[in-house]
Amino acid sequence: MSAVARHNVKTSGSDARAMVFAHGFGCDQSMWRHVAPHFEDSFNVITFDHIGAGGSDAGGYDPAKYETLNGYASDVVDIGEELNIQDGVFVGHSVGAMIGALAHVDRPDMFSTLVMVGPSPRYIDDTSYKGGFTVDDIKDLLTSFEENPLAWSASFAPKIVGNPDAPEHGQELADSICNLDPVIANGFARATFTSDNREDLCKISAKTLILQCREDIIASEHVGRYVHDKIPGSEFVLLDATGHCPNLTAPEEVISAIRNFLS
Amino acid sequence: MTDTRNESFGPETAPARYGRLTTDQTGTIIAANERLANWLGLDAFQMTGAPFVEMLTKASRIVFETSIVPLLSLNGHVDGVSLDLKDAEANKLPVLLSAEETGSGEHKVTSFVFLLADARRAYERDLNDARAKAEDRLTTSLHEAQLREQFIAILGHDLRNPLASISSAMSILSREPLSQRSQDIVELTNGSVQRMSLLIQNVLDFARNRLGSGIHLTMTAGTALSAEIRQVVDELRSAQTDREIQLEIGDLDTVRCDVSKVGQLLSNLLGNAVTYGDPSKPIQVRAVKPSANSFELSVKNYGAPIPEAAIARLFDPFVRSTSQEDQQGLGLGLHIASEIAKAYGGSLHVRSDESFTCFTLVIPLSVSD
Repeated sequence: MSAVARHNVKTSGSDARAMVFAHGFGCDQSMWRHVAPHFEDSFNVITFDHIGAGGSDAGGYDPAKYETLNGYASDVVDIGEELNIQDGVFVGHSVGAMIGALAHVDRPDMFSTLVMVGPSPRYIDDTSYKGGFTVDDIKDLLTSFEENPLAWSASFAPKIVGNPDAPEHGQELADSICNLDPVIANGFARATFTSDNREDLCKISAKTLILQCREDIIASEHVGRYVHDKIPGSEFVLLDATGHCPNLTAPEEVISAIRNFLS
Repeated sequence: MTDTRNESFGPETAPARYGRLTTDQTGTIIAANERLANWLGLDAFQMTGAPFVEMLTKASRIVFETSIVPLLSLNGHVDGVSLDLKDAEANKLPVLLSAEETGSGEHKVTSFVFLLADARRAYERDLNDARAKAEDRLTTSLHEAQLREQFIAILGHDLRNPLASISSAMSILSREPLSQRSQDIVELTNGSVQRMSLLIQNVLDFARNRLGSGIHLTMTAGTALSAEIRQVVDELRSAQTDREIQLEIGDLDTVRCDVSKVGQLLSNLLGNAVTYGDPSKPIQVRAVKPSANSFELSVKNYGAPIPEAAIARLFDPFVRSTSQEDQQGLGLGLHIASEIAKAYGGSLHVRSDESFTCFTLVIPLSVSD
């Protein structure tokens, strides 16, 4: 199966420069539904689902490959190769931003521009670094997922309660939003919240924009500024939006910040 | 619609068994009911103005921000989500949460309803544990089953060598001048060797089939087939001197098949017919080509009909008659016979009624052969 089919890749817009939108942990490509279409006039807009999310095909899921974010980044590179992406723009939300950065470090020719929305290179505090969470916080999160995967999130429910033998159920799944495979979501949570990609930031040579929300408990402002400091020549924009998902709660602000940066 | 931002749940005369809370577009608490405040060990009035996420454990905050906020924004509601609230003493309070968004922009209000869920959470944890244990046990049993079948395959293989030695010893002995009594013993031993050889072949085929490599067919020209069928019938005649076995055999030279496997299948069917057929009536074997592209081998006996209920499981492994006294062998004969038929892309079927019982093998032949 091609990477394009496996990751439920959707393309729209013009034949111009490729612009890939990546979602983070907890949802799927629906995260970009209020933002991505606004770039169709001047870009070849590409959205996709990470493995285990939305309409992706999880057949042959290899837990070892996805122990770190590099497995997710290699999927992005596979998609880019199939679509012949050169000199593209990568817009990533949350952990999707770091995944895009890793894909860029691997293939700088494929993605030469990065837009990182709410990025964090490490969620767990370190001696002089404040990621926002203690080791115990993350342990608690991962244990909770393992103990109780079916109840943590409403988005897990359909696959658990549904009857996979009923064909109409498949359609229902494809139509549902932020539908996640619980086992793979646990793996994604582990890879995300135990990641430490601080050393990769200085390897980024792309033209980079960091979009930071206020009062974001997942990726706080000083984490965003840390990312900005470590990426040579990057731009930093503090949005008025609060929370972790400005692409849903304040799409206009996100759209105009990205437009300003790209023009 | 009234402006929900000014809503206050007020004092409740009969406090509900659910927690209630509303937030504004920034996630700040507008109002909370007393039940929720009691659960959390807080004052409902003092909760107003605090960010809702501060009522959650750190782990639940992550889930809330990454999964629940997008769902609320995209769907307008979430139903029955499990999260942990955090009370004034930082204890976890497992709840089920449903929420709905109304209004937009600055007028957006989110209403939350909470139910205590610790018992349910414990039950779900038990279910998960039970599933994990069941999966473990299944994996272990599958592994053990495979080891057992490998053991059977190796044992069957190793039994062949000493059996071959016995067989050649009998062959040497039979060329010596022997007393009548010794000749009878050699004959009987030969019959036992043949039965054991067939049992071993059946066990080996069964184990190989179960291990996934299927029944092996080595196809050769059919010129040796008639001789093989005659030999199998003769062997049985000499072992069962009191039974009449009739043989009708056509021209089989063009039947391309695995001759020894057809012989094994016939031995199995004959063994069955000897056990269950009426000893006073003949067993009839018929090997013919009813058309250019098929080969048919049937074994008929005049025994009591096979009960309806037994027919369905007749070709399953380890099935033996429960009504008859003479229970011998592993009950693999008919199973292996039908597996051999399948390996040929053919079929083995049975007809059994008051008049007779007849097993018929039909193998399709490719005409070009």
